[in-house]
Amino acid sequence: MGAHILLVEDDRRIRTSLRLVLEDEGNTVDEAESAEVALEVLGRRQADVAIVDLMLPGMDGFELCRRLRASNDIAILILTARADSHDVVAGLEAGADDYVVKPAVPKELSARVRALLRRSTRPGATSHHIFEDLEILPEAGVVRVGGVDVSLTKTEFGLLCELAQAAGRILTREVLLDLVWGYGYFGDGRLVDVHIRRLRTKVEADPAHPRHIVTVRGLGYKLEP
Amino acid sequence: MAAFAVGSLFLSAGLAGLTYQLTRGYLIRQRERSLLSQTYANARLVNSALRSPAPDIPRLLESVELPAGSNPLLLRRGAWFGASVAVGPEAIPSGLREAVMEGDAARQRFALQGVPRLVVGIPLPAVGGAYFEIFPLIELDRTLTVLRNSLAAAAVATIVAGATVGRLVTRRVLAPVAQVSAAAAAVAGGRLDVRLDEGGDPDLVGMAVSFNHMTDALQARIQRDARFASDVSHELRSPLTTLAAALQVVTSRREDMPERAQRGLDLLSGEVARFERLVEDLLEISRIDAGVAEIALEDVVLAEFVLHAVRSGPAGVVPVEIEANVGRAVVQADKRRLERVVANLLDNAARHGGGVRRVSVERSDAWARIAVEDSGPGVAPGDRERIFERFARGGAAGRRDEGDGTGLGLSLVREHVRLHGGSVWVEEAKGGGARFVVQLPFTA
Repeated sequence: MGAHILLVEDDRRIRTSLRLVLEDEGNTVDEAESAEVALEVLGRRQADVAIVDLMLPGMDGFELCRRLRASNDIAILILTARADSHDVVAGLEAGADDYVVKPAVPKELSARVRALLRRSTRPGATSHHIFEDLEILPEAGVVRVGGVDVSLTKTEFGLLCELAQAAGRILTREVLLDLVWGYGYFGDGRLVDVHIRRLRTKVEADPAHPRHIVTVRGLGYKLEP
Repeated sequence: MAAFAVGSLFLSAGLAGLTYQLTRGYLIRQRERSLLSQTYANARLVNSALRSPAPDIPRLLESVELPAGSNPLLLRRGAWFGASVAVGPEAIPSGLREAVMEGDAARQRFALQGVPRLVVGIPLPAVGGAYFEIFPLIELDRTLTVLRNSLAAAAVATIVAGATVGRLVTRRVLAPVAQVSAAAAAVAGGRLDVRLDEGGDPDLVGMAVSFNHMTDALQARIQRDARFASDVSHELRSPLTTLAAALQVVTSRREDMPERAQRGLDLLSGEVARFERLVEDLLEISRIDAGVAEIALEDVVLAEFVLHAVRSGPAGVVPVEIEANVGRAVVQADKRRLERVVANLLDNAARHGGGVRRVSVERSDAWARIAVEDSGPGVAPGDRERIFERFARGGAAGRRDEGDGTGLGLSLVREHVRLHGGSVWVEEAKGGGARFVVQLPFTA
């Protein structure tokens, strides 16, 4: 499939071994041992996916995620040592699309990268949705709020399209995890929660009292037409 | 508080009663004494006047000096003389009259027309009669009433004051103790940042300082443990990540390898996988021990959850029986942890119990249960606690070990379930085999 991947990891051995795994899958890999180097490498050559270790010397992985998110339309996958820590949520809030926990990286990593790329290239739903001030053009990859274009990441866009497709129906977190991230029943619901929060700040007039993307307590989310 | 109120009640009521009795006795005695001496003086006057040849008795009685409202009465040779029509000789109590007739001076208190009075009688043998005076005691009575009311009011005021002071004192004395107790409870509940005010009550500074030292030490210790777990986590995960990645690269070329190298590679793969699980389990358990495990509770539809967990578990096709009353019952659970619980129980059944026979989901009003039954020989009653201990492997008769478990599976099951506020135990299944039961509370 040949995606272009930027691997940001300070441990040389992990970097090298993961590069071998990713290259075995047919990807092109650029390496960076720090966030600073990563930004420099990206300045020279764009990448489809950045794989970012959260614990980096100098600028940390969270800050790198924020920088990447601010200036690039790149998919971000973070590597973390602990699934149950606040690091995961902080990383997602900094802009990451998904995460993988060490040491189960190699098995998961390829699957996660494939899911991210599938999302980037998936031909979205075809219909054109208009919900009052919110306008979604899946094919063009455009979202407008009050007639103004809003910049969404691919994950946010995918999430919004799934909600729009099912407008008025409740989608559980498990269903959204499956549709957007390609996880099964045991995917991490925090992925959905954090992305919904981010999406609201971009498309809702008052994110604290959402008009379109509403939470149905104990069940999931739905887009109110 | 109540003791103070009761104490002040008894004390003030007792004191008020005593004061009233003493004062009343004293005042009555004083009054009687002065009236008595006055009557004697008047009796002497009357006695000497009656000795004159033709005494004018009505005038004599009018000239006698008496307090307002008092009445003199004279008995002379069987005839009564008085200065007032209102109070005649019939007013004098008969007992007293007889005593005076027999020659004894006497006094008596009595009530007439609703007014308390004192009568004093003095025999006058020289003139063949007796002299009486009747005094109203209404003033004294009024004084005593005022006294009684004042004392009662004072007693009530004292009781209220006693209760109030008692309450304030109690609160002041007990407040620091209550603070210490609350702080200790908070620390026991895991809030290690609780400290006592060392600048408070001077008597309690020592205790506050010791308490704070203790919690400081406890907090430092727990933070050290947590940091150690986290350090170990990082140190072990990094080489393991490299190991697993490199192994994957080699494994993808397995078919190109000679047969002996393949066998070596398979051993390596198995052990790296086991090592990963072991590190994972150890870190999980050390985080729980250090009290830094974060539990992410969410609403989970139990029946649906168990079906998914069994389907994605290691045991293959397993019958899952969901009792009718379970329906779409929701429990508060950390899905990742609860999934580990089910997976570990299935793994345990496959490893030690001759395979999973069935999984069931049951509920009552207060709890939900997930039960995993196996086809093995069961667990001897003496081992039913022990098998949940760490690395408690192999001891139980008939429970052979395949050698690729971590020895932490069941103890982690117990820890995860405890984090949910539930419990886990093993019993004998109907028809033999072991039945592991996970019971979770319905918190909602």
